[in-house]
Amino acid sequence: MALDKPIITKRIPTPPFGDPADRKRTTFAQYKRTGGYKALEQALGMAPADITNVVKDSELRGRGGAGFSCGLKWTFLPQPDGDRRYLAVNADESEPGTFKDRILIDFDPHLLLEGIAIACRATQCDTAYIYIRGEYHKQAKTLLVALEEAYANQIFGEGSINGEVNGRPLNCYVHRGAGAYICGEETGLLESLEGKRGWPRIKPPFPAVKGLFGRPTVINNVETLMCLPFIISKGADAFKAFGKASHFGGNAPGSYGPKLFGVSGHVKRPGVYEEELGIKMSTLINDYCGGIKGNRKFKAAIPGGVSMGFLSTDQFDAELDFDIGRRYGVLGLGTAGVIVMDESTDIVTATRNIVRFFSHESCGQCTPCREGSGWLYQMLCRIERGDGRTKDIDLMDEIARSMGAMPGTTICGLADGTNWAVKTAIEKFRGDFEAKCKPSVVQIGVNVGA
Amino acid sequence: MAWIVKDSAHAKIEKRDEPYLSDEMKRHFEAELLPRYATRQAALLPVCHEVQHTYGYLPMQALAEVASFLGLSNAQVLDTVTFYEEFHLQPVGKYMIQICRSIACELCGHAFLSEKVKQKLGIGPGETTDDGKYSFVELECLGACEQAPMCLINEELIGDLTWKKLEAAIDECE
Repeated sequence: MALDKPIITKRIPTPPFGDPADRKRTTFAQYKRTGGYKALEQALGMAPADITNVVKDSELRGRGGAGFSCGLKWTFLPQPDGDRRYLAVNADESEPGTFKDRILIDFDPHLLLEGIAIACRATQCDTAYIYIRGEYHKQAKTLLVALEEAYANQIFGEGSINGEVNGRPLNCYVHRGAGAYICGEETGLLESLEGKRGWPRIKPPFPAVKGLFGRPTVINNVETLMCLPFIISKGADAFKAFGKASHFGGNAPGSYGPKLFGVSGHVKRPGVYEEELGIKMSTLINDYCGGIKGNRKFKAAIPGGVSMGFLSTDQFDAELDFDIGRRYGVLGLGTAGVIVMDESTDIVTATRNIVRFFSHESCGQCTPCREGSGWLYQMLCRIERGDGRTKDIDLMDEIARSMGAMPGTTICGLADGTNWAVKTAIEKFRGDFEAKCKPSVVQIGVNVGA
Repeated sequence: MAWIVKDSAHAKIEKRDEPYLSDEMKRHFEAELLPRYATRQAALLPVCHEVQHTYGYLPMQALAEVASFLGLSNAQVLDTVTFYEEFHLQPVGKYMIQICRSIACELCGHAFLSEKVKQKLGIGPGETTDDGKYSFVELECLGACEQAPMCLINEELIGDLTWKKLEAAIDECE
């Protein structure tokens, strides 16, 4: 069923349920008055394994991009041994087109804190770090104010309602990043938290076993954690009333629950909107965003952050759920930050912009990504200038597509993001590229005496 | 690009007698930051943030002091801070005009604004005006795509930019 009232954005006025002009930070008192921290109280009366089971039953999938089952991830943690266990909250929202977490933190920080406390209860973590990107100055301050309120009201710290976890009081800290996209990769984030360069780690060992400071660690996205209070208080079935089962049937995981969609680019009313998973992109653009700017025609879109690749002109009706990758030839739903491009957009320019981003943000650890993204960027610049040859298109396609060239040779997924952008652009908009390229010189005949 | 090696081997370190890390700052770090982490190294980012906030950038001498304070080698500290774009090893302008150049902002016309800033201040991306008042940088996504094109001036986000709005914001800087 479609959303008849806001769930995650309950306290954040969002069209069609409210006016964004009315948004302001929810204080502790307001949060509590509107039913806040009730779910935490409920969770504290439950055994940790029971909380995990409810979350597993709700089929909540990670909202940070990968879409991995949240409850299942929690079960990978070993049994507590009395030593420290960590929750790392990923608020390093840096994927172009993504801004949902910023709005959530700006206006309802306590929903995040409640989610953190519930997750810590379920996974028996005693310390939580909110890793927030360095550019979010205001949001980091907002979180500090909210944390101060939460400490003062016994949500965290000595003598809090959480009691002791692993023999320690539950603590939560804000840790600011310093401008590196790669720190949003979960093990890059852990390295950064340890005070090192944000170089992703080779797995295994997985963070659940050996994560931050070599201890079991859970890493969850802001929006994922913000779903928890609803799931605990209303139950797994209420959450599953939104969204739908997988289109592929069988054991394929479904796409359930409400989701924030951040729409930007060529639309009349860009912004964050909450709907159930599986909503059509056309509905989102036409009904929520008021259609394309200047009443121009739709040309392309990126479903969820630039690493997902392009949706073509005839995929305007694509259903935005976790099956989008297999059904529409993109990498996946990603962060559901939809970037819309109208008919005036040059796809070569858009691709050049995206590849420059990845080339700039490559951490430099793996050669195929560091060098590959740089060379792809140079080739795209050449084509954009009009100096490219048609064989350049094939070369880029080969680099981006063949396993062992760039894909499948790196520690983390940044190289794959680059490649999906390039290969889907070439596959779906080859004409845009060819129109800018000179034909390759083909030698006909035999070189005598060569 | 975070991975480009910076030529620090030949950098001349300017020394001053008064330490950058005052005893008061050290006490504050010991009391507030270090208890949060299992290792002293983990406090490196927060410590550098605070040092940069105080001095506007991270002088080499300050980094050496941070290293000895946290029990790290100078190389370890340099290794980390050179990775992050937000840490400045050279002085920057009093006002940092940071224009987003990622996809949503490019679609909505950031290039025009950058060009205008260049003309107005007479500096290109990555440069600082001679009077040290303004620095201008183009950054990747700042996470406010719904307000594209947008910029940060120091810590303040200004969205839905037109040149008129941006010029007014630049002129307002004292």
